[in-house]
Amino acid sequence: MMQSKAFVLGLAAAAAFTAPAFADKLDDVIASGTLRCAVVLDFPPMGSRDENNNPIGFDVDYCNDLAKALGVTAEIVETPFPERIPALMSGRVDVGVASTSDTLERAKTVGMSIPYFAFNMAVTANDKSGIKSFEDMKGKTVGATAGTFEAIALEKQVKEWGTGEFRPYQTQADVFLALSQGQLDATVSTNTVAQSNVKGGKFAGISVVGNAPFDIDYVALFTNREEYGFINYLNLFVNQQVRTGRYKELYEKWVGGEAPDLTVGGVYR
Amino acid sequence: MFSYTFHWNQAFKALPQMLDGALVTLQIAILSMVIGMACAIALTLFRLSGNRVLGGFATAWVEVARNTPALFQIYMAHFGLGNFGIHLSPYTALLVGIAFNNAGYLAENFRGALKAIPETQTRSARSLGMTPMQAFRYIVMPQMLRIAFLPATNQMVWAILMTSLGVTVGMNTDLAGVTQELNARSFRTFEFFALAAVIYYVIAKIVTMAARLFAARMFRY
Repeated sequence: MMQSKAFVLGLAAAAAFTAPAFADKLDDVIASGTLRCAVVLDFPPMGSRDENNNPIGFDVDYCNDLAKALGVTAEIVETPFPERIPALMSGRVDVGVASTSDTLERAKTVGMSIPYFAFNMAVTANDKSGIKSFEDMKGKTVGATAGTFEAIALEKQVKEWGTGEFRPYQTQADVFLALSQGQLDATVSTNTVAQSNVKGGKFAGISVVGNAPFDIDYVALFTNREEYGFINYLNLFVNQQVRTGRYKELYEKWVGGEAPDLTVGGVYR
Repeated sequence: MFSYTFHWNQAFKALPQMLDGALVTLQIAILSMVIGMACAIALTLFRLSGNRVLGGFATAWVEVARNTPALFQIYMAHFGLGNFGIHLSPYTALLVGIAFNNAGYLAENFRGALKAIPETQTRSARSLGMTPMQAFRYIVMPQMLRIAFLPATNQMVWAILMTSLGVTVGMNTDLAGVTQELNARSFRTFEFFALAAVIYYVIAKIVTMAARLFAARMFRY
């Protein structure tokens, strides 16, 4: 009798301490105690490295905030733009905090949160190219970082113009290197990146010459498409960041000026 | 954990675009082999010439080409030369980089092949009344080409695969470039990369088999 009672108690204890069979990603992250974020680190001011090679930037802080909210430690996994999705799909990261444009095409593959940041697009030109506006780029050699919103839009524009050449480079740093060498006449990049690279002084002979008439580039956090529980958490987290003023604070810290509105008028999310 | 549902029908829609890219890849590989072969013959002659300047130049070329990554060589052709105001387009930079690499390896192949032919053959040919040029042309060269041919096809396959490094210098018309772009647009990484891998495999296989058939016909005893 005593033996079977102990056995039943033992079973109950075992059941209580074993993870449920259908733990989802949110459970997994909390259980593991680590949140692994894919962050692009050659994309200042969103992600870069300081003098001691530590990751810094808006996206890095955002990941740390998310980890804090989840009660876990953040691990920044450096991920170049084209490798964001393979990193997620192969399970190397839990969430992408990587300035990812929320296109419908991509949402077929990954689950996007509500927008957590918005970019305007700026034209940066080599001073010798004589380009003074977006329209001046017609017929010139232009480029952008492969796989980004602006690269896709710019390539489409070059095809529409029917003259000139478009070159996608693998990293933002290569784009600005090619631009300052004069291999590219101009590039379209997010306004934040453009300002930060021109002011940074690493690349000589380039200046921001105007805005590109592309749509506002809303970027979202992303995770696996089927992880509704986690996506739900991410949405609320983005909402809370704005509500608590943390979004403004981070914007002021890394970019400066008026933080862009993350809502679109006239429609529900 | 691998959680991913394949959308093959989406990927197959892009197949014509990828095959166009494969043609560009093949074109670059063939051109780079032709240029590389010409440079390699020149390098081999430089090294045989006994001239210290020419010999040193050839040795330096071979050393750098064989002992540094092809990625570095292609990157240097684009961004390295760009620093000095010499602007090669991504296509040209890729071609120059691979041709440079090919020349280095092929020159080594030729040297090895020459070493494998006993010098006594040249002397016998000379004693039969052939000029040095005739001895080289009729006795040494046919054997050298036969010995060097199969290693050279390896280099051709290697050249095809090296073209995929062009994406690092902004190349977007070859197979790897087209694939990267399709991937960036849709995030269907695994479908597009799997297709690209199959296409690379098929091209490389065809080249190897064609070379073997060619060798069987050409180098019969």
